[in-house]
Amino acid sequence: MANLEDLYGPRVYYKRLFGLLILSVSVLLAPIVVRDPYYLELLFLCHYYVILACSWDLLTGFTGNVNFGHAFFIGGAGFAGALLNLHVGWGPWLTLPIGGLVAALCGLLVGSFTLRLRGPYFAAVTFCFATLLYKWIMIRYEIFGGEEGLPGIDWLMETALGNYYFSGILMLAVISFLYLLSKSSFGLILRSIGENEIASEGSGINTTFYKIVAFMISAFMAGVAGAMYGHAQMHVGPEMAHDSLSALVLIMAVVGGMGSIIGPIMGAYLLTLVNESLRFMGEFRLLIYSSAVVAVILFAPKGLLDIITRGLRRVAGQETT
Amino acid sequence: MDPILEIKGLSKAFGGLKALIDFALTVHQGELIGIIGPNGAGKTTIFNMITGFIQPDSGDVWFKGEKITQLKPFQIVNLGMSRTFQLVDLFREMTVLENVMVPCFSHRAKNHRHRGKKPWSVAMEFLNQMGLGHRHNELTKNLAFGELRLLDIARAMATEPDILLLDEPFSGLDVEDAAVLSAAIRRMHEKGQTMIIIEHRLRDLLRLVERVVAIVFGEKIAEGTPEEILKEEKVVIAYFGERRE
Repeated sequence: MANLEDLYGPRVYYKRLFGLLILSVSVLLAPIVVRDPYYLELLFLCHYYVILACSWDLLTGFTGNVNFGHAFFIGGAGFAGALLNLHVGWGPWLTLPIGGLVAALCGLLVGSFTLRLRGPYFAAVTFCFATLLYKWIMIRYEIFGGEEGLPGIDWLMETALGNYYFSGILMLAVISFLYLLSKSSFGLILRSIGENEIASEGSGINTTFYKIVAFMISAFMAGVAGAMYGHAQMHVGPEMAHDSLSALVLIMAVVGGMGSIIGPIMGAYLLTLVNESLRFMGEFRLLIYSSAVVAVILFAPKGLLDIITRGLRRVAGQETT
Repeated sequence: MDPILEIKGLSKAFGGLKALIDFALTVHQGELIGIIGPNGAGKTTIFNMITGFIQPDSGDVWFKGEKITQLKPFQIVNLGMSRTFQLVDLFREMTVLENVMVPCFSHRAKNHRHRGKKPWSVAMEFLNQMGLGHRHNELTKNLAFGELRLLDIARAMATEPDILLLDEPFSGLDVEDAAVLSAAIRRMHEKGQTMIIIEHRLRDLLRLVERVVAIVFGEKIAEGTPEEILKEEKVVIAYFGERRE
């Protein structure tokens, strides 16, 4: 019989963090090879989307409550951070955490009413909130700048390399936190809610509380990422609150593999790099990109991580359970 | 001695269908009670209302002297009442041990747990009580049906309830599995566990319980010892129909 301490004790974290260590070293050493600012900015985008996809996965991937409005937190915090920077003069070291906190509080407000309910209500309300924010941003152009958004925000770091490292370290911190959380008792309870919420509640778990906390953590991280993006671009625009961004984040997590944290990392890197690499195809880029996404969903509905994991198990000669 | 569970005037209608009419029951500490009745009699509706999954139209439930009628299911579990489900519906993509670890993180279980004891070792104890320790690392979806029933009981026991509600635990079991389950229930009862069991399989149930309540079309028609219930004319008619001359 396997040692339970090895399966569930602290030692399991040490083994699993080995992969994180490899990623950390890669992130830290990549600029030795990648020096072109264009590619550093592309990798910055990868880090940004990893944070968005992983934060989205914490709630939806684990509990099954689908958030169709992640852009509400990204754009909301992005604009909140920009307004604080432009009108109050606060720098990114303040606007990022405050943007995250604002997003988390919005998550608490939305979640408190909707996550008590079972059914599509939560998904519908999150979509509506994101749409309402986008419309509000467009309507109140005197505050938010309309289609042009708000330019002139303070930079995040002075150079593309600085932005790369800032976003990389933030990404690694987010991934580590979310991964450890997913393997903790909190993660186990979220998984139980996703599997069978009635049985989870019948086991004495206050499922609404855990869903709301997961939603707040998800919103906080998306908010921090949104504020970071605004400072890195020195501009925030209404596209940060558009439902297409919510859809993109969802697709990245689904393609990579939901409910795993690792899957969304893969999905975010892959789709960001593929999208950029297809740029030379001009107007056919969107067609090919969309076709590739549909193909992955059709033939690998559990995501690429599942395909890779099963393949490795087959190679290792283990039974697939 | 004060009853541990008191149900008074519990009623529920689903549209025009009266699922339960003015149901009453008193349970004392340590009792093993059976609820019998044909399909659709309202048995599981009783459990769902007692445990907070459905709100009654009228009536109240008192547990350890506290009115629990309006409480949520997780609150009732944390007060000390736990249940299994008629359609065994566990966490199928999680391991057997993880299924029992989930309730170990409930408020009640955390308070009961001795300092220094890890939740997985506590969960393992409950699995061993049900004879499932050797399957702890198996995915739940790979378990045989009889093992799923035992696992559901282990899950319900993990909050160390004062009263355990078993909903048709023998349903779908073969003779061998039924014997294993009967032995497990007997062991729990001998340790003083208060239980209410809903069951169709009268032979398995009546060997175990001390008192039986019979329900037909949402109404209690009889209550007594197993011997008294078997002789009760209304029960015989409900199960076998009118005697033909």
